[in-house]
Amino acid sequence: MEIAELMASPLNLAVIVKLEPDFSEGSVSYNSDGTLNRAETKSILGPHSAIASAAAFYAKVKYGAVISVATMGPPIADSALQQAQLISDADSLHLYSDRIFSGADTLATAEVLKTGIKKMEGTGEMDIVFSGHRASDGETGQTGPQTAWKLGYTFLGNVICYDVDIEKRIVTAKRLITLQGTPDVIEEIEAPLPVFITVDPSYRSVFNTVSLRLASVKYQKEAEQRAQNYKNYLKIFNAQQLEVDPKFVGLPGSPTIVYKVERIPKARASRRAEVIDGSDQQQLRRVAEKIHEIVGRVVNQ
Amino acid sequence: MERFDVAIVGGGTAGFSALQQLSNLGKQAILIEAGKTPGSKNVSGGILYSKTPKNGRVYNVEDVFGQEFVTQAPVERLITKYILHATSNDKVFSIDLTPAHEYQSNFAYSVLLTKLIPWFAKQAGENAERQGGGIVSGVHVRGVSWNGDKTIVETDELEPFEVKAIIAADGVNSELAELSKARPKFTPEELYQGVKVVVKLPEEILQERFNIKPNEGAAHLFAGDVTLDHIGGGFLYTNRDTLSLGAVYHYDSLMENPVEPYVLVDRLLKNPLISEFVKDEVAIKEDIDKSLATQEQLRARFAVSKLLKNWGDLRDQYYSRLGRARLVENGRYKSEEEIKARLDSIRNELVGRYNTKFVNDYVELEYSAKLVPDGKRCRMKKPYRKNILFVGDAAGRGIFVGPRIEGLNVGIDDAVRAANSISRSLDRNNFAEEYMGEFYTKSIEDSPYTRDMKEIDKDYLKLFLDAAKAVPVDIVKARYGIIFKLMSSGMLRGLAVGFANILGYDRLLPMVETRETYVQVPIELAEKLGSHTASTYSCTIPTIAQRIAKLRYNDDTLSHIRILDPKSEFMRKMVVLCPTKCYSIEQEEVMLQHEGCIECGSCAKETDWKHPRGEKGIEFRYG
Amino acid sequence: MAASTTLPDPRTIMPVRENSTNSANESEGSYRHLYVVVEHDDSNLIPVTLEMLGEARRLMDIFNARYSSTEKVVAVVLGVNIKKLCEELVYYGADAVICVENPNLRYPINLIDTKVISQVARDKVCASKVSPEYSEEFKKPRYMFFSADNVGRHLSSTVLAELESGLASDINKLVIEDLEIKHEHKTKGQLARYEKTLEMYRPDFSGFLWTTILCLDNRNPAIQREYHPQACSIIPGVFAPLQRDPARTGIIVDFSPELDQADKAVKVLNRQITKSPVDFDSHKAVISFGRGIKDSPEDNIKLIVELANELNAEIGVSLPISKRPYSVREPVSSLYMNSDRVIGTSGRKVAPAVYVAIGVSGAMQHIAGMKESGFVIAINADANSPIKDECDIFIRGRMEDVLPVLIEELKKQKQVMEVHK
Repeated sequence: MEIAELMASPLNLAVIVKLEPDFSEGSVSYNSDGTLNRAETKSILGPHSAIASAAAFYAKVKYGAVISVATMGPPIADSALQQAQLISDADSLHLYSDRIFSGADTLATAEVLKTGIKKMEGTGEMDIVFSGHRASDGETGQTGPQTAWKLGYTFLGNVICYDVDIEKRIVTAKRLITLQGTPDVIEEIEAPLPVFITVDPSYRSVFNTVSLRLASVKYQKEAEQRAQNYKNYLKIFNAQQLEVDPKFVGLPGSPTIVYKVERIPKARASRRAEVIDGSDQQQLRRVAEKIHEIVGRVVNQ
Repeated sequence: MERFDVAIVGGGTAGFSALQQLSNLGKQAILIEAGKTPGSKNVSGGILYSKTPKNGRVYNVEDVFGQEFVTQAPVERLITKYILHATSNDKVFSIDLTPAHEYQSNFAYSVLLTKLIPWFAKQAGENAERQGGGIVSGVHVRGVSWNGDKTIVETDELEPFEVKAIIAADGVNSELAELSKARPKFTPEELYQGVKVVVKLPEEILQERFNIKPNEGAAHLFAGDVTLDHIGGGFLYTNRDTLSLGAVYHYDSLMENPVEPYVLVDRLLKNPLISEFVKDEVAIKEDIDKSLATQEQLRARFAVSKLLKNWGDLRDQYYSRLGRARLVENGRYKSEEEIKARLDSIRNELVGRYNTKFVNDYVELEYSAKLVPDGKRCRMKKPYRKNILFVGDAAGRGIFVGPRIEGLNVGIDDAVRAANSISRSLDRNNFAEEYMGEFYTKSIEDSPYTRDMKEIDKDYLKLFLDAAKAVPVDIVKARYGIIFKLMSSGMLRGLAVGFANILGYDRLLPMVETRETYVQVPIELAEKLGSHTASTYSCTIPTIAQRIAKLRYNDDTLSHIRILDPKSEFMRKMVVLCPTKCYSIEQEEVMLQHEGCIECGSCAKETDWKHPRGEKGIEFRYG
Repeated sequence: MAASTTLPDPRTIMPVRENSTNSANESEGSYRHLYVVVEHDDSNLIPVTLEMLGEARRLMDIFNARYSSTEKVVAVVLGVNIKKLCEELVYYGADAVICVENPNLRYPINLIDTKVISQVARDKVCASKVSPEYSEEFKKPRYMFFSADNVGRHLSSTVLAELESGLASDINKLVIEDLEIKHEHKTKGQLARYEKTLEMYRPDFSGFLWTTILCLDNRNPAIQREYHPQACSIIPGVFAPLQRDPARTGIIVDFSPELDQADKAVKVLNRQITKSPVDFDSHKAVISFGRGIKDSPEDNIKLIVELANELNAEIGVSLPISKRPYSVREPVSSLYMNSDRVIGTSGRKVAPAVYVAIGVSGAMQHIAGMKESGFVIAINADANSPIKDECDIFIRGRMEDVLPVLIEELKKQKQVMEVHK
């Protein structure tokens, strides 16, 4: 059988994930100034990180890939790794945790992740690294591509599905490109390994034979068992163990700072409809004027 | 093309029983289920029986899944009380049918299928994997084709694959039955339509209310004015910390006198006895002050949501012996008193800070609907076609005799018989109709359940009549005349039953399954003998739109229903009879206008009706 | 990964306005100009490019006046057959265009684009052609703009990783200021003056807060580093483009990148347009219709299309419409009654300046998709429909009656406006 044959030459994968606040109503809490109350809000594996984990799982089912999941964060971020293991059936979990990492912007974060992934390569060449499209709590999808660039891996963004030709060491992928004012395009590309993939929110693994489905059930069960004992798979690294240069991580390694935070003015009041009689032409004229006023204002701003 | 020995289509109790049985027999089988996860599309009333008939044997759930079923399966409660209530306005006359319920019964559990089916799936799935099979969920079987001696299964999601035999466990709206032309679609006279709401009620409050011990449960049936003049009735079953409240009516009587299915459930909720049964403490959110800044409104909304969630979760645990123990054990609270104190403090914060009010009302969790085949009328005489064997609902097999409503156990019995028949065929590599289909038919015919679909069991009838002893003869005599006289006399009963069975269900049913039985007699009983009941509040019943809004769908962009004749009488009735109001009339034509469809199949008779594609459509949380 | 939005510790950041002792020591001369990375779709400019140029022009005009300098707005464009595009970029505000015409650059591919843009950003020859007077010590651009869409976000990230500088993403307001900064790491707690600093405002994920991000050199001797360009990605649809002005002139500089085989590793095998070109984002107005069209579906859709043309609006529908409940002739039904146009939880979320809901009852699922709109007008015969609570003007009436009058009035308005011009 095809799958068994491929087991001999597995792929080495890494997934980088993030612990994020759970923004669902009933879980999230805000302070009276409108900022997120982090202490009162539960944290979960970010939804995009979950998709990245699912993308890695695809290669586990199809190619018997070996998967490592990594995150940078405080010690409690190990719960994100556990949740990612449950999705991806990861073989090892890596937590990069050190006080000096805190406050890092994306470039400094990418430095830590790059160093971590390079360290994983000690066990064999890394073939694909996955990350989510973006984080839901503000980081807007820069960390993935910056880590890719620092690693020197070819970056493929907005991926909605992929396959690997193990022998030729080539990945083929479909990407969804949505640009303002143009129709969406699905682009099919190929690139030699190693690559760094960020998955589009619409990513879906397609297991299109009964055998693949059955295999995916088998790995899911393995994942459940592993995730129950996730600490057995967990390695924690501080800055020293990771051998990063403190000048390039955390606040010292961040080009950007947050200078100030202020409330966005002009919070719109809730709508109160003015009711107009549709048979009154005068009134409709006023509506027409209003529309022109607004549309014109937007253009001329 | 990939090849497997057996494909089972449909992951309900019957499907998983078949998978388990085939795997037990060392055969390779795969089960294909359209729902994203097993159980997510299953609905039942539901009570699951295990039986030991006097004559012949049936295969019970514990025969298939072992004693682990009794010790481990996530069933709700062991039903130890079975009571029929005749209602008229606020008067109720109750008859204890527990002896009839216990007749030939080893046990009966109330169940919620979205919880129970995953357990079946886990057992059967592990077993099947050892034989090279397993469970494939999220896949919709679209077609089966025969090419020489090859049988090829086509799905919406996977590459086609080849099998030697198929078990069709795809329910009352079986697509396999239609595409293989094994039987015509069921007609309204062959069906019951059931609608159900699951109501939340904390565990110990529920036990106190129904006067039952932990793990034990009660079943209550309702007939009389709550039927709104239809043949059938209401039911209320206790689950662990929920109630299943529903209405199940003969579809033909609904066609004659159409009324929105949810109105029938609403009517039950308006009965004072039922109102009191479902009563709970409910928080009413105060409208947020619209004059506040948007972000302040939002903050308050989120804060209230969170407090309410905490209050609800904690309260559920507090009113559960295990829940309390767990909270103390894991160190979150030092004592039960401390949990209570915390509960009160959250409540006080809600009342004091956010003007939340706490009132008597009820909490509805989920609305669902299902068609139920009446085995007396529609069981397939030859439940096979080529190398496909039909089981359970798909074969039109269910028992509906007076207050006796059974389907899950029948499906399990069928599944074992089908699995055994296929196993025999696999050993001989002979899947011919006369070898496999006929063997299965014979096995099914031998089942005591089939007997119950064909004739009256006089011992059961006696228990039923004994229970109804208190009913004055004059109320029923006038209506059932000679039949009643024969039946109520011990000596003549045997003769009467024998005579009735000669007449057969076909001729008997129109005489017994009437409005008189389900509506008029109960009303008279309640009026004459019933006691007054009263409720301290009236239920705030959600609209159908609110009920639909609470359901979870994975909307399929392709419509799975197509109207064939927008002007037909049947379709015009669907405007009323669709449980989720999917139809409307626009300019004299019936339009399918909103996809709140919960896939009950009420409209299937005159539509091109398919199940949605894999993972699409409704996802139940209780079932 | 730590959040870039971690709120500032008040002890580490202290904007101070009074006199400072430690004054500017910016490496004046090394960093010049504002580079705008152009996005286009096979030589068709997409709106955000023009918006970026417009904002760049405004900022640099103020900058040059204030600092008595002549730094430029430099557009960087990659592609095939882009000569004509270069002129357009000038008409829309660029002082100079660096044009990289190369068959390998036809479609956006992160790997090769990053290489090329980084080369451009560091190229002294290019910079000297753009502006000879500042060519001496040119190292890198002073500022850089990218678009915050699903090409530009990634491209900005990798380019800035290559250039080893800071990036703020999803910006909707920009200011250039001289700032006095005291920062634990950046200035070792000393007060320092950072001139010509780009204040980059980004809306917080909550939607309540504006976070201002700065990209600052490390002046702290222990970790001394220069961080330029100061770069950001810009949310499409926020800034206004300039009027196209063919009288505007500028320099067009051709650039030939140095590419090796590895840079061409990614191959595009196929490109397919997936959706009907429904575009809610680049229209100022969106019109949606629902089951209220039922009395005469086809005629009503005609009226709605006419209104949409009048307002240059995109057309959306409520979910039930996408299931084609009415028999409407092709191609009208396939054009308008399809799932690409659905607005709501199971479709798209839109936030135009004006949203007109016609015959839409206002189911919760639909409201979720349009509630962020600027001004909402509903037309509905049923005064009790829920949409009434979600709109600013509720026109009670049948669309058959209201729409013709409204269209007529809009036409009159347009004439009035044109006369004014």
